[in-house]
Amino acid sequence: MTISRRVFVRAGGLALVSLGLDPLFLARAAFAKTRRLSPLSPLSASDRPILVCLFQRGAVDGLNMIVPHGDRLYYQERPRIAIPASDVVDLDGHFGLHPSLAPLKSLWDNKSLAVLHGIGSPDSTRSHFDAQDYMESGTPGLKSTGDGWLNRYCEHDREHADTPFRAVAFGPQLPRILAGSAPSLAIDDLQAFGLRVPQEDARDRLTKAFEELYDGAGTGLLASSSREGFEAIQMLKRADPTQYRPAGDVEYPSGRLGRTLLQIAQLIKANVGLEIAFADCTGWDTHVNQGSSEGQLSARLRELGLALSAFTRDLGDGMHNVVVLTMSEFGRTIRENGNSGTDHGHATAMLVMGGPVNGGQVLGRWPGLEIDQRFEARDVAVTTDFRDLFGEILARHLGATDLTPVFPGYAPVASRFPGAIRV
Amino acid sequence: MRHFLIVAATLAVVSPRPLAAQAPQLSTRDSALHALNRLAYGPRPGEVDSVVRIGVMRWIDQQLDPDRIDDAALQQREREFKILSYDREDLAQRFRDVQRERQRLQRESSPPDPLSASPRGGTDMRPMREFRELGGELQQLAIVRATLSERQLREVMVDFWTNHFNVFVGKGADRFLLPSYIEETIRPRALARFEDLLIATAESPAMLFYLDNAQSVAPGSSPPFPLFARRRGGQGVRSRPTGINENYARELLELHTLGIDGGYTQQDIIEVARIFTGWSIEPPDRGAGFVFRDWAHDRGTKHVFGLTFHNDGKDEGIRLLKFLANQPATMHHVSAKLCMRFVADDPPDGCIDAAVAAWQHTRGDMRAVLRAIFTSPDFWDARVVRSKVKTPFEFVISAARAISADPDSTPRLAQMVARLGEPLYQQPAPTGYAETEAHWVNSGSLLARMNAAVALAGGRLPGIDANLDAVIPATTDHAQLVDRVDERILGSTMSAHTKSVILAQLGDISDPTQARVLAVGLALGGPDFQKQ
Repeated sequence: MTISRRVFVRAGGLALVSLGLDPLFLARAAFAKTRRLSPLSPLSASDRPILVCLFQRGAVDGLNMIVPHGDRLYYQERPRIAIPASDVVDLDGHFGLHPSLAPLKSLWDNKSLAVLHGIGSPDSTRSHFDAQDYMESGTPGLKSTGDGWLNRYCEHDREHADTPFRAVAFGPQLPRILAGSAPSLAIDDLQAFGLRVPQEDARDRLTKAFEELYDGAGTGLLASSSREGFEAIQMLKRADPTQYRPAGDVEYPSGRLGRTLLQIAQLIKANVGLEIAFADCTGWDTHVNQGSSEGQLSARLRELGLALSAFTRDLGDGMHNVVVLTMSEFGRTIRENGNSGTDHGHATAMLVMGGPVNGGQVLGRWPGLEIDQRFEARDVAVTTDFRDLFGEILARHLGATDLTPVFPGYAPVASRFPGAIRV
Repeated sequence: MRHFLIVAATLAVVSPRPLAAQAPQLSTRDSALHALNRLAYGPRPGEVDSVVRIGVMRWIDQQLDPDRIDDAALQQREREFKILSYDREDLAQRFRDVQRERQRLQRESSPPDPLSASPRGGTDMRPMREFRELGGELQQLAIVRATLSERQLREVMVDFWTNHFNVFVGKGADRFLLPSYIEETIRPRALARFEDLLIATAESPAMLFYLDNAQSVAPGSSPPFPLFARRRGGQGVRSRPTGINENYARELLELHTLGIDGGYTQQDIIEVARIFTGWSIEPPDRGAGFVFRDWAHDRGTKHVFGLTFHNDGKDEGIRLLKFLANQPATMHHVSAKLCMRFVADDPPDGCIDAAVAAWQHTRGDMRAVLRAIFTSPDFWDARVVRSKVKTPFEFVISAARAISADPDSTPRLAQMVARLGEPLYQQPAPTGYAETEAHWVNSGSLLARMNAAVALAGGRLPGIDANLDAVIPATTDHAQLVDRVDERILGSTMSAHTKSVILAQLGDISDPTQARVLAVGLALGGPDFQKQ
């Protein structure tokens, strides 16, 4: 491929596919070309809608997280692990929060927390690997999708593409959901972002040296990406993450999730243009001794509830344009197993919280727990395709204009949106 | 498109052209460096000179015939890797022991967070440690081989095919099936006939499990005895499979052979899946080897790609694989991907056509196909020289080789490759990792490369023994230092800009060791070294 053909192809969007080129490369090259690298004005930054996604890897038991305490079958099928009705934090007379999620009750009361039950994938797989993959690629049943749906959103809605912090995954590596051609950052620890030299002046000097080296690297992807990196370092330096103190007396729970949510709050308050934050939250695969109001699952939910509650209190009014979404690859069996745990199931529950949320309700259609209402006669049936919820949040909260490329072959339509975001 | 390709391939010259006609713009040294950057993981100190001495084309021919290259030093190092002494049955046994032990511990103690079997981000259960160490060994073995082997092209091709026929090590049984996949399926065939490699991957337990073909049975068929006992725990409920699974059939056509534009339909995928019904795996306690299950095979007649398959058991699949392996679309798809690896992210048509012609001529002998690429003018075009961004794996290995560093046998250098974005054997999608720069270059990963470079230069990179004194002696003469760094690390191709920035940075540093750390760190982490 000669240079002139490359330029020609870049100019004509349709032509590149028919020539059999790698469209991702061209998209990134074009991307790099059109990016503005000016710092954000604080005003424009604070008005951006923000989405925070937490992936509960391992398949959370939706039935013990959001308990259908009004359903007799729930208690019949789970003699050892059901949450006693007296412990459940009631929401609407039929569903209630696991007692460990009590810190979220005030969000329900002020209508900034909604719950979706019976949500999941149309694919029937019970493999963690496949189901996580499908939930991240956004293409259930199709394994060869190379990128993730959050990245495809960034790729096709470029209005906010002017900051290196637009899409940030907290963790050592970029997760599947953010893999793709639009730039996204993986940050393990905000305080360690940048060059790792202990002394500040030596670090600044080395940073400047590398910046100069890459400045001479011309106009390609190396040059534009390194510029983004150094810009990010500068923006963070101004924000000074080492000095961060949460608002008031808010205390995040110790552990990875609390630390991650604290750093997300920090990035939001630093006005660096964050639009999408993503983090993992593990330990939900409760096959053995799952526990009831206390125990294994309870401990995980307590950390989740405390961390989310601290996050919303830390941001305070800042939550007006923030939506937090939890997701998990599938739910668990309705009936408890022989080890006082639950096995891999189908539909689960997801939480949506934040200022723009149509809260105070359990959304979706509850499929019921009777045998003939179950998926394959054993699991909670899926009544909401996860793409309908994800699509609604992209469209109504982040303002995505076209969902067709984000969820190829599906394209959520407004009539199927579960109504999680206020219109 | 396909018609055009067939015509182009037929017209292309088959015989390799003499070297003199190919590289008018490159000096002999530049040619040697280019060959070492592409056929190998970059030069070690002195290697550009030795390739010049041997003659670039002769060195390439030697690399194409790896069994005749002495590799005793690597073979010595390989003895440190326990994993090479275990076969698939041993590993299956260990895997089952670990699972049993884990279940026992859970029942007894109910730890706070058991069985976080999620492929990404599990917990650190003690009983899993030894098995996980073997997983780390497997990754580190790839690092050690790529760094130290004299048979560099074969290591590059092992990486290429491992990626082309990607299997994710984190999926269930692939945790113990992957080592034999690498050792027995891929490595012996890295420079073989494509057809043989394709059949070997199709029959490999690792692939059969990864793309679910082991679960694919003719609808309505049932085993003569209960094979798939209902089971709780682990990777989920294993109820008896009840129909065909299309995953392998789809990826076989889309990724392994014809390519996404290969002109097949959903009905073709179903027919292919029917042909492969019964290709399965023995249970782990019987060694987890390949088995053809007659009872699960669809005995009906299948029609696909103009061929008819009457009931002929396993031979149907073999016949189909041989057919697919030599289809024009396959030849073009795989040749283009090879050119993407060896020539440029957007490979010119000329080298692809040359590869396809050699494929037709030799029925897919990879040595002939590669030779056609390495003798095509496109390969030696000055515009493609140092135009490809290194993958994280290539970056780390080439850096280690540049300073003649010796990776140890712990998985720490493999962990560095993972931090840079390319955890080995851990790409969940069957696409494998991308060959193109857009997937590797982003601000976070570049900063990570700079950090790795500075750590390596300062002798602070764990898992590697960098003996800089032997390669770049410390000196107070900054100009001499930078020249030496240029020669050793960049094969005397350092840009004037890089040179002036490094010299300016060295300005007031009087300590020779400190100056060397800075110069080497900036050279390895700078833009010049990111390219090959």
